[in-house]
Amino acid sequence: MEFVSPEGLRLDGRRPMEMRQIRAEIGAVSRADGSAIFEMGNTKVVAAVYGPREVQNRSQQMSDQALIRCEYSMANFSTGDRKRKPKGDRRSTEISLVIRQTMEACIMTNLMPRSQIDIYVQVLQADGGTRSACINAATLALADAGIPMRDLVTSCSAGYLNSTPLLDLNYVEDSAGGPDVTVGILPKLDKVTLLQMDSKLPIDILENVVQLATEGCKAVANYIREILLENTKQLEYRRGV
Amino acid sequence: MGFPDGSKDLSSEMEVDAFRRLFPLQYFERHLAEAIRPDGRPLGKARDTTVVLGAVASANGSALVKIGSTTMLSAIKMEVMTPSLESPDEGCIAIDFHMPPICSPLVRPGRPAEAAPVVSKQLSDTISGSGIIDLKELSLVTGKAAWMAYLDVYCLDADGALFDAALLSAVAALSHLQIPAVSMNDDGKIVLVSDDDGQKQAQELVNKEKRNLTLRSIPFSLTCILHKNYILVDPTAEEESVMETVVTIALDTSGQLVSLYKPGGPVLAFTPSIQDCVALTRQRVKELKGILEEANSTMQVE
Repeated sequence: MEFVSPEGLRLDGRRPMEMRQIRAEIGAVSRADGSAIFEMGNTKVVAAVYGPREVQNRSQQMSDQALIRCEYSMANFSTGDRKRKPKGDRRSTEISLVIRQTMEACIMTNLMPRSQIDIYVQVLQADGGTRSACINAATLALADAGIPMRDLVTSCSAGYLNSTPLLDLNYVEDSAGGPDVTVGILPKLDKVTLLQMDSKLPIDILENVVQLATEGCKAVANYIREILLENTKQLEYRRGV
Repeated sequence: MGFPDGSKDLSSEMEVDAFRRLFPLQYFERHLAEAIRPDGRPLGKARDTTVVLGAVASANGSALVKIGSTTMLSAIKMEVMTPSLESPDEGCIAIDFHMPPICSPLVRPGRPAEAAPVVSKQLSDTISGSGIIDLKELSLVTGKAAWMAYLDVYCLDADGALFDAALLSAVAALSHLQIPAVSMNDDGKIVLVSDDDGQKQAQELVNKEKRNLTLRSIPFSLTCILHKNYILVDPTAEEESVMETVVTIALDTSGQLVSLYKPGGPVLAFTPSIQDCVALTRQRVKELKGILEEANSTMQVE
């Protein structure tokens, strides 16, 4: 099947190095301490952060740092066919773990000992790149909640089909059987916190694809910074500064 | 004993937020005495309600409803199934209500919220009891194939009056639902007709084109709180947690009572208060009917 046409256009009309349209909104869930909606093309994700609050399970309490918990779940109607088991399945558990460990790298947990920070992510529409969208949404939600972080964490995926590195795969491209590389970086510190790849990829191509995904992450980081700046201005106006 | 007096003494000395947290009941009663609520609404007024249809592009029908901050997203996915032996010419609707942990600080992962199965059952009962949909419309081939409609309602923000918002979003999703066009292929299986091969004459079209369901009587509901002599309409989560007696009344557009739900609570309801609640619900039904019709006509224009 042809994923990149001879003119260089992908199935949805994008160029190989082009990301899907991103859109983000802060403060979607009024009851949460921090929340955000993040859209990458047709993939729509809601993240809510509760915390720092009292640890619910006393035995897990840590005296020198905060406990981070994360739960990833997909709505029944989010994928093409209706999902039967949206939460307990292996994929959701794995992604919950991945998101938790990625965010743990950037949250300054030692400033909030004996407390718990809950990050909940709900996928409303899935069209490839849900992992990345969730991490980006979680970053915005944590910033909205005012939780101290070392840096933003942004994530983007890239693949390699028809001998072309492609940025930001959608569901059709992802399920084509080619490699899917997901990268998560701390943009200011220029460090990689998440790197996952499945399927096969020659090593000399790997570097190109990772570089492409990193560029995508930096573009997302710029957008997120704009959103946060706009949000801060709104807060200042409301306080009358 | 000393509480009411104690709080009066302290109320002039402490900040409003502290008083609100420490003496919530007194805080609310001071507002009720002036016939107003903390968010500025009069007692009989519901919060701003918005309905957006088609929120989930991949579903056959969907709606996003916000009543104040309470947000509900519902979507319907259709699948073909074999009908049961007792009713071979009827389809089926399965309604499920979910409260994911994002919606409220009180919901913990792994432990479903207390309110979730209650609202889920109420929703199923109200929708099947109101006769909004004739299940015969969901039939494809008698005895062999019928539609199974999975209606999932997700609470994205739980700020009181969950049942009202859930019912409104379920009803709005049903009004937006478009049954896809299908045909029976040679194996006797039902397949979706995609736009390209609609030209094929060999397949006999079972369902010629996408169509909407005809909705008969649409139920709408209103939740009220009873506290002493007051009736508070459309409570927020804070109000619900402080004053626990809740009455939910569902009426349909022809004014008939579909359901009445008062699950206990410290305040006893005399007939006049229930009648007042029904009158308030009647007004609300008119409002909601208008809002839903507007949302539907906006969709059609698009």
